[in-house]
Amino acid sequence: MGMNGTASSNRVWLASLALVCCGVLTAGVADAAKDRPRFEIRSAYAELENAVYFLHARIDYPLSKQALKALQSGVELNFQLRIEVNRVRRYLPDANVATLLQRYQLRFNALVNRYVVRNLNSGGQQSFATLDAALSFLGRVSNLPILDKALLQPGKKYILKLQAELDVRRLPAPIQLLAFWLDDWRLTSAWYTWPLQP
Amino acid sequence: MASSAIKRIAFQVLLTVGAVLWIAALLLLAESTQNSERFGELHNLILLINAVGVMVLLVVIGVALSRLIRDYRKHIPGSRLRARMLLSFVILVVLPLLVVYYFAVQFLNSGIDSWFTVEVEEGLEDALSLTQMVLDIQKRDYLARTEEAAASLVGWPDLGMVNAVGRLRRSIGARSLTVVDRGGRIIATSQDQPRDIQALLPGEELLQQIGQGRPYVRMEPTREDGYRVITAVDIPQQSALTQQRALLGQFPVVARLGRLADKVDQTYNEYQGKMFLREPLKQSFTLTLTLVLLLSFLGAVYGAIFFADRLVLPIQQLVAGTRAVAKGDFDTQLPPGSSRDEIGFLINSFNDMTRRLGKARETAARSQQLVESQRANLAIILARLSTGVISLDEQLRIRTANEAAGAILGTQLGSRVGETLEEVSIGQPLLVQFLDSARSHFDKNEFEWREQFVLRGELGSRVLMCACTPLPGGSDQPGGFVLVFDDITALLQAQRDAAWGEVARRLAHEIKNPLTPIQLSAERLRRRYLGTMNAEDSQFLERATHTIVQQVEAMKDMVNAFSEYARAPNLEISTVDLNKLIGEVLELYRARETGVEIKQNLDPELGEIQVDAGRLRQILHNLIRNAFEALGDDQNGKVEVFSRFHDQDDCPLAEIIVRDNGPGFQMDLVSRVFDPYVTSKPKGTGLGLAIVKKLVEEHGGKIEAGNYKEGGAEVRVLLPVNETARQAMMEQRRVEVRRESA
Repeated sequence: MGMNGTASSNRVWLASLALVCCGVLTAGVADAAKDRPRFEIRSAYAELENAVYFLHARIDYPLSKQALKALQSGVELNFQLRIEVNRVRRYLPDANVATLLQRYQLRFNALVNRYVVRNLNSGGQQSFATLDAALSFLGRVSNLPILDKALLQPGKKYILKLQAELDVRRLPAPIQLLAFWLDDWRLTSAWYTWPLQP
Repeated sequence: MASSAIKRIAFQVLLTVGAVLWIAALLLLAESTQNSERFGELHNLILLINAVGVMVLLVVIGVALSRLIRDYRKHIPGSRLRARMLLSFVILVVLPLLVVYYFAVQFLNSGIDSWFTVEVEEGLEDALSLTQMVLDIQKRDYLARTEEAAASLVGWPDLGMVNAVGRLRRSIGARSLTVVDRGGRIIATSQDQPRDIQALLPGEELLQQIGQGRPYVRMEPTREDGYRVITAVDIPQQSALTQQRALLGQFPVVARLGRLADKVDQTYNEYQGKMFLREPLKQSFTLTLTLVLLLSFLGAVYGAIFFADRLVLPIQQLVAGTRAVAKGDFDTQLPPGSSRDEIGFLINSFNDMTRRLGKARETAARSQQLVESQRANLAIILARLSTGVISLDEQLRIRTANEAAGAILGTQLGSRVGETLEEVSIGQPLLVQFLDSARSHFDKNEFEWREQFVLRGELGSRVLMCACTPLPGGSDQPGGFVLVFDDITALLQAQRDAAWGEVARRLAHEIKNPLTPIQLSAERLRRRYLGTMNAEDSQFLERATHTIVQQVEAMKDMVNAFSEYARAPNLEISTVDLNKLIGEVLELYRARETGVEIKQNLDPELGEIQVDAGRLRQILHNLIRNAFEALGDDQNGKVEVFSRFHDQDDCPLAEIIVRDNGPGFQMDLVSRVFDPYVTSKPKGTGLGLAIVKKLVEEHGGKIEAGNYKEGGAEVRVLLPVNETARQAMMEQRRVEVRRESA
């Protein structure tokens, strides 16, 4: 009798604790979703040319106030574009065929008063007089080779998935810690999918 | 048992995991604050560990707290102490933690703020401006050179420009020089080394500015950590018909200048970054600190619970054990603590105590059992006793009473235990008298006594022999009494009857003896003189002797009847002259002329004594006749009678000695001569000396028998002279008898 009473009181206690936690989390998420600028993939498609798929995409990178302020203060912002090609399976989770990570770095050079965009994959860089020019350059992906056609089996279904995000892990340590708590730093787009027909 | 063991193990595992996580989190935090590059990798891990640690601690603490609250509500022993200890511990932990937290945050903020000063900031800005000015000079220089080159290209056809551009590039020191049209298409270009064509393409902003007819110059960082200057100017048109061309130049910045500029830029950037990071840094440090302190606090709280539990557990066990002992469970043994501290000592002492208590109880139970069985035995014995036994407490309340006591006192006592004798005695005349007699002793503070009571009741009187013994009590007062009494009424009666029977037998013995000679003498007189007398005389004689013989026969019958029924009278003490009495008795024997010499040696000092004259006479008769019978027909026979006066210890005594010179007592009979029917004579009745002894003892006297050294028997009688001496002798005899029976 005593043991049962103890167990049930413990269960009640744990349940209420879990409820409180859930409540807090939900409130936080709801609050965060209110006004947050979000990266957005406006369009994306792949073009087959010489047996190679080339990606074309348009991406919006609106920066939050905090990110903007950090950029003006000389903090480098790292963006990454995650590109996946998955084979669709009926019952099992999709199988990954290829993953590509395009990484860019944006910084403000106070000496020459220009925004410098650097492609970390290719090493090429370009400078822009305005942030908008830099961001629109960043958001324009054209002719990015992603996959050899030979890798795709004919007759199967494939999808192309894209996601753009601010790479928080490459921010300075103090901001990283805050980024975990503050929504201002959680800049991510939703996954964008496009069917790939071999 | 098993579930509690599992629970304990689970708690220990949780505790260990929590502690490890906590330490790991602290180490990782310390690591990450020093090494910001690794922070990225560790960050999520740290957060996860911390979150798990906090959750584990919260769960553990929650369970422990709910248990504590439940115990507290149920008033389980030890829960109050535990709660109080827990509260004290938590307060002890929280206060220093808060103080440390406050000061740490203060130090942190002021420490971070101290990194930044207005002077440094201004200096850096000035350095930046200076560098920009220096670079501006270079930019203007390169722009002027490009304008110069453009001026020299005026009027050149597109095809001819290729050579001119190469020459011009070298002359103005550019890395590359390119002629483009308004659409940005390259017309001609020259480079100091082959480059990606992409790098030569003009950007939108450049074309836009050129399109407005303004010269363009910009400086930008190169991939190789240097700087380059890009210039663009319109090539002036010769005529409206010719197409508009623009000249683009790329110039290197002097290496040293570039490096310095880079340095300035980096430093400025870093400072700006830090300025920007100041608040996030403070926040993140505060956050980290808060997290660590939260973990520490939760850890400390759990530690407090844990230690409070551990400290209180033995106390709880002690309380439970004490309660069990109080309820009489002496087999309680507490699990011996491994600790060698005072609590361990206490537990060991408790176990010792219960062990000893258990042993003592066992011993007590055993002895109680023994006492019970003895008491039962005693109760059986007492119940079977014909002697009444009553035990009383000091207030004369009945503690125990056996059946015989009730029967003797004519009331039920066994059912009146706890009441005083007085209460019980209401309406019980026998008990009232008994109580009065006993009281007379108690009132005189006599607690050990022995007395014969006579209780008078409706059915005659009862004689009780009662003895009282005090029971041991506190100080000088007894703790109670035991009264032991016997109804000796019947016994006394029997004794008296026996005594009277004895007397009767004796009287018969004494009277019958002279009757026979009287009868014989009368018959002889008749035979002798009947023939010699005349008829009238002989008729008279005949009648007289007949009467004598008849009367003697009647007397014999009477004596026989008497011996059966008569009751001996009490001693009839009178004053008698002993010597005179002895003389009278001896005279009777002298008159018989038996040929035996009779001598008397009487003490003239011996005057009158107080005795029963009849009995004394009988004593003398018996002794003297015994002596005569012992001598038989011996012609030299001699009987001597002595009297003597003794006055020893204020107790005057008369001594009578009867001695003969006959054969004396047989040696084997000497010790038993006074027993009835012990005789060595063929015609003796065996009662003579026994009766003498009885009579002497009734007077309180003494009698001894032995053989005289010159031959013959001697009997010695001591008689008290007066009543006082008799009482003294009686008392002495009683003492002797008691000593003998003891």
